[in-house]
Amino acid sequence: MKKRVYFFATCLGNAIYADTSINAIKLLQREGLEVVFKKGQTCCGQPSYNTGYFEETKKVALYNMDLFNEDIPVILPSGSCSGMMSHDYVELFKGTEHEERAIAFSKRVYDLSEYLDQHLHVNYEDKGEKVKITWHSNCHALRIQKCITSSKNLLRQLSNVELVELEHEHECCGFGGTFSVKESDISNAMAQKKIEDIKNQNVEYIISGDGGCLMNISGVMEKNGEDVKSMHLYDFLHKRINGEAL
Amino acid sequence: MNHEKIVEEKLQDEQLRKNLYSAMHTLQTNRENLIKNKYINWEELREKGKQVKENTLNTLDQRLEEFEKNATKNGIQVHWASTPEEANKIIFDIAKEKNVGKILKGKSMASEEIHMNAYMKKHGIEAVETDLGELIIQLIDEPPVHIVVPAIHKNRYEVGDIFHEKLGAKKESDPEKLNEIARNHLREEFKILKMGISGANFAISSEGAIWLIENEGNGRMCTTYPDIHVAICGIEKLVETFDDAVVLDTLLVPSATGQAVTNYNNIITGPRQEGQKDGPKEVHVVLLDNHRSRILAHEEYNEALRCIRCGACMNYCPVYEKIGGHAYQATYPGPIGEVISPQLFGMDKHGDVLSFCSLCNRCSEVCPVKIPLAEFIRKLRRDKMGEGANPPIGSEKVQHSKQEKKAFEGFRFVTTNPQFFHLGIKAGALGMPLIAPFADKLPVLKNWVKHRSTPKLDSSLHAKVKKLEGVIYE
Repeated sequence: MKKRVYFFATCLGNAIYADTSINAIKLLQREGLEVVFKKGQTCCGQPSYNTGYFEETKKVALYNMDLFNEDIPVILPSGSCSGMMSHDYVELFKGTEHEERAIAFSKRVYDLSEYLDQHLHVNYEDKGEKVKITWHSNCHALRIQKCITSSKNLLRQLSNVELVELEHEHECCGFGGTFSVKESDISNAMAQKKIEDIKNQNVEYIISGDGGCLMNISGVMEKNGEDVKSMHLYDFLHKRINGEAL
Repeated sequence: MNHEKIVEEKLQDEQLRKNLYSAMHTLQTNRENLIKNKYINWEELREKGKQVKENTLNTLDQRLEEFEKNATKNGIQVHWASTPEEANKIIFDIAKEKNVGKILKGKSMASEEIHMNAYMKKHGIEAVETDLGELIIQLIDEPPVHIVVPAIHKNRYEVGDIFHEKLGAKKESDPEKLNEIARNHLREEFKILKMGISGANFAISSEGAIWLIENEGNGRMCTTYPDIHVAICGIEKLVETFDDAVVLDTLLVPSATGQAVTNYNNIITGPRQEGQKDGPKEVHVVLLDNHRSRILAHEEYNEALRCIRCGACMNYCPVYEKIGGHAYQATYPGPIGEVISPQLFGMDKHGDVLSFCSLCNRCSEVCPVKIPLAEFIRKLRRDKMGEGANPPIGSEKVQHSKQEKKAFEGFRFVTTNPQFFHLGIKAGALGMPLIAPFADKLPVLKNWVKHRSTPKLDSSLHAKVKKLEGVIYE
């Protein structure tokens, strides 16, 4: 019997990155897993949590713990959302009747790249042309979910891909969820600095494993009229190992 | 000044942006290189520092009494101040009793917190800053932009201009020449020095001593040259032993400036003893509370009192680096400022700074005493909008946005009712091309599209998943 896993595309996966979500599912299927896609899936609750609306967030968190209730891994194509569900849910319910449940649930939550790298030990053969890319680390993926090493391990398996690191990789791109609209001018100043760094690397693509950051960076790059293209990690991986044009 | 206005002003200040970008990255690089090359186990040391502070804070009442007892035994006069007014009055009364018209100050953030200079001026006493950075900003009547490097927003050319204009010095931009100008100016001031003010980095309770660190020697002048030395010390600066202080000092200096050790370490154990030829005849320590005991009693935020004021959180803050410390409009800027300003000075007055954070967590990562700053900022946002059980002072006066509250009720509704969530995405995907031309007029979206292209919604995921072979869609 195939091992079952939940795939939670996240709100951005559902609303903007449909094809990325499909590619992410295919990466799991490729490893022989049976993917369960709950049609009731929505959002992890970060927007309300980070803005300070904890009570509403608790309701969203409970909804998710009910929805993904089978004792199998919950896999998300986003380090920040997986960080929310594996770390922040525990914080949110600390000292409440749901604490133990949140702790148990959190242990089943994985970022897709860490699951592919650390648990499935995938082997990727690069079928694409030579390409030079750089990588943006999402802050929560880096500091909460701590899955950036895995994301980069996957990229480094691709023999025709040259990964050039950003000079200030550990600096926020300015997304920060509601921060990007509450302090949109500061957010833009941060994004412009990030883009300056990206441009300095002379690469064709900026790759990131988080839809929020990608939407922010690509949105500002598009408005600026930059040449560098952006792509989600799972689109990139899927295309490279299947020899599809980027 | 209005929050939006000051942000706009700072973001448009090209020179400020340039100075901060360069200075913050230099401080970051210095810290990282030092930790990488000279420290065997920085993380273990952070844990140790955290423990040292926790041990003291857990027994702070005893430590304070012990400090008073031992300091008094050493001949130091210990004063207690609950409020800035009380602290200022104590210092003023000491000056008045000794007929002092001018006092010289070493660097002290506690003195900034109580607005000592303004108080003294109002009561006819001049307070002169002797720390180079503090001197620069005092000349142009600005508050510190940073807690460790108060004039970091000014480059050497600007400093040369300030010295030229305010001190009548020749226009210089070479750091050594600038130092010389400041030194000559201050030496004149020191000649007539009767009373010196300092802060305190550590107050060691078992010894009744205070420890001051600095790089310029002006702090040593202020504490050893005059007849009277008064140190202002927040009650959270207590530690039990010298060994404890050493742990914290070893964390503080690299975190602050990327140095292994400061040029000066002044450990003050009391006034001049009989037979000694120098040192102040009187040493006073003013122990300042100003709502610190309230933070201490708070079960969620008491860890914030571990802060040793190194400034690493602001050095690494991507928001601070873009707008600088003045945009926070409070004594303490940056992440630690966001955490303590609402608690020390009131949520109603300083709650606005809580939006200066993208929750990137870099501050929490570099904090040498492991204060979970980003988590606290998020919790304070909760308090600000009225959900916290024990919010900071002044929270009851905060105006809540009904529109925002409704929006998040709506968010919760659609995220727990998937049929509406999908309907929303479908409507959005269909409607986006229609509303896109007006995106700059719509709430929230207008802030997004001000600097970015309009997001392209795609509602096709579920249809595609259903078609995908082998996926269980349930």
